[in-house]
Amino acid sequence: MSPATHYDIVVIGSGPAGQKAAIQGAKAGKRVAVIEREPGIGGGCVYRGTIPSKTLRESALQLERTKQSSTTLDVCVPPNIPVAALMRRVDDVVKAHGLYMENQLRRNGISFFHGRAKFCSATLIEMLSIDGVKQLITADTIVIATGSRPRAPVGIPIDHENILDSDSILSMIYLPRSLTVLGGGVVASEYASIFAALGVHVTLVDRADRPLQFLDEELVRMFVQSFEQGGGRYCAGQAVKDVRWDGISQVVTTLLDGQMIRSDKMLVAVGRQPNLEDLNLSATGLTLTEKGTLAVNEHCQTAIPHIYGVGDLLGPPGLASSAMEQGRRAVCHALGLPEGRSSDIPIGIYTIPEMASIGLDEAAGRARYREVMVGRARFDEIARGQISGICNGLLKLVADPTGEYLLGVQIVGEGATELIHVGQIALQHAGTIDSFVENIFNFPTLAEGYRIAALDILGQRQKRLASTAA
Amino acid sequence: MNTETDLSKNIDMPEPVERALLQRIDKDRIELPVLPQVAGRVMALSSDPSADAARLSALIHQDQALAAHILRIANSPAYMPRTPIMSLQHAVAMLGVSQLSEIAVTISLKSGTVHVPGHDAEIQQLWRHALASGAYAKEIARLRRYNVESAYLCGLLHAVGKPVVLKTVTAIAAELRITLRPDAIRAFIDSYHSRIGILIATEWALPSQVAEAIAYYWVYEQAPSHRHEAMMTCLADRLATYVLVPESFNDSTLRDHSVFADLNLYPDDVDTLLGLKDKVLCLVDTMTL
Repeated sequence: MSPATHYDIVVIGSGPAGQKAAIQGAKAGKRVAVIEREPGIGGGCVYRGTIPSKTLRESALQLERTKQSSTTLDVCVPPNIPVAALMRRVDDVVKAHGLYMENQLRRNGISFFHGRAKFCSATLIEMLSIDGVKQLITADTIVIATGSRPRAPVGIPIDHENILDSDSILSMIYLPRSLTVLGGGVVASEYASIFAALGVHVTLVDRADRPLQFLDEELVRMFVQSFEQGGGRYCAGQAVKDVRWDGISQVVTTLLDGQMIRSDKMLVAVGRQPNLEDLNLSATGLTLTEKGTLAVNEHCQTAIPHIYGVGDLLGPPGLASSAMEQGRRAVCHALGLPEGRSSDIPIGIYTIPEMASIGLDEAAGRARYREVMVGRARFDEIARGQISGICNGLLKLVADPTGEYLLGVQIVGEGATELIHVGQIALQHAGTIDSFVENIFNFPTLAEGYRIAALDILGQRQKRLASTAA
Repeated sequence: MNTETDLSKNIDMPEPVERALLQRIDKDRIELPVLPQVAGRVMALSSDPSADAARLSALIHQDQALAAHILRIANSPAYMPRTPIMSLQHAVAMLGVSQLSEIAVTISLKSGTVHVPGHDAEIQQLWRHALASGAYAKEIARLRRYNVESAYLCGLLHAVGKPVVLKTVTAIAAELRITLRPDAIRAFIDSYHSRIGILIATEWALPSQVAEAIAYYWVYEQAPSHRHEAMMTCLADRLATYVLVPESFNDSTLRDHSVFADLNLYPDDVDTLLGLKDKVLCLVDTMTL
């Protein structure tokens, strides 16, 4: 084996976290290398996660809109669209995004290695290339950004043919007539609503009484209502006793209460697990947490100061946006550069309809302040909502007990993940509820919902003043 | 690189036989037979009211000819599927077992069985190779998270032209009173199976990924739309040959192919696939019984 090549920074993994870490290092003038096990850059986010699933979602939405306006436009939409047609666009988007990322790394002079990395010591990495050739690499700073993969629960025979996970679901070449989705998290809810929008009979099964437990209850209720109106079914509080393929054409799911669900396919989406097993972390002295994640401080630094962990391998929230920020901050910290002020990261859930949240929701607000003022704007009361046919939505502003200061924003409805940024900026600058009323919004826009919800709070304030005066 | 032997380059294929074969190809007189034991089993199953539907589904999955016919008929105007039926699983789900058995019986009755006097062993070997290719294609797809159903179909049908070449050239040779040496037959099969397979795929409107696997599995980099399927088929064909004809490759020769890297399979992934040898053989033996 040839002697080790030295870099200032080595990043293992080229997903959102790794990519941003590498670019931050290169921008600071450092010699950076990225090791990626797949031939393309972008990690699971680009090839098996965010990008393809959101593209599929977009296709489903377009299809839904076309169906809605088919009478207006006098066009006929075939009842079953071949998945190939939907996935073709996914392939195009994935290719384009992968190419963009590749160019970005190249432009920044970052060395890219296609191979598997494993630690020989805390400073020495052995890279195995696809053809079996080994290469040694040393670095002053090592950023682990190896991402995660779908968790395979014991007792569920995932065969990637009939019983799929969130990686293999994207390989489908036809739409099943029915789909059972196990799980109540982000991935399960997103895919359940996407396939329901595509006309598949979807049954979402979860132990909890509602999916997406970490989100505002009112938002989730609206999502479930919309999902069920679209032909989906949510089986709440149900544990799975048995899952089997009947050998012919159906996946048979038996629930603990004896209920049986038959479907053409099943998606198992019960969480994700970090990709850390192959790294030989024991050679560095690092150990994993009970959950199999990597423990880091607020700078994403592990117990070994020059080794950082970023992205999905840290566990929740598992968002590409937070992974990117972790990658950037980790390298800034390693190089002694200012990391910038830490801000709340908005949560964006790409269900149909979308959901987004920033700051405190109603329950968290009440837990902290005992009482909060909540202003609501329903999309069907907003002109743009009616014009665009986006009537199924709600924007909530959560204010302090006096109704003066903004504590958080929660939105359900199309455009939620974009709209949330107005609330994010307001929160960052200690925005008042009045500022939403004083600022003029374009008309007609969905953003006007902020003004409507703020007026709702103003109304509550006036009522309170009136009752106090009385 | 094709995993077939390169005999065709060196073996003299009798010119009159080749000319007659080409004429038949040009005239589109190609018919796929159903293997006798499968035809018999399908009919027995279909006429038994207590028949296990799973067994019929399994039968359909086991036989090249039956699989191809099922897809052709399932996609025909008579059945008018709303979307193209892309896999056997899809056919079972969309059509239901009773319709499938009806199709299967029709095919079994209409098709001539493959009976090439003196060549039963070759027919059996071709069938075993098709089954092993299908089984391996599934495993490769599972490993790389590509579509398993599609991979299986491509593996099973990638050499669908072989028994047809065998039957046709031996029939021609008999008509012309020419004795064909085994290596000449082999050369005919290697040289023409892909061409005939493409004709079958076109004539029967097989799913595009299957057509591309047949046409490009040995030059997968040229596949216009379904490169992954062509790559998986190439490797499945190679692995099937490795397990069924152990003398064809040693371990290092087997691994000496760009398809492993192109599918992003690391040495331990290859070990995993090779470790499935007994599983694949067991499956092939079971289906061959």
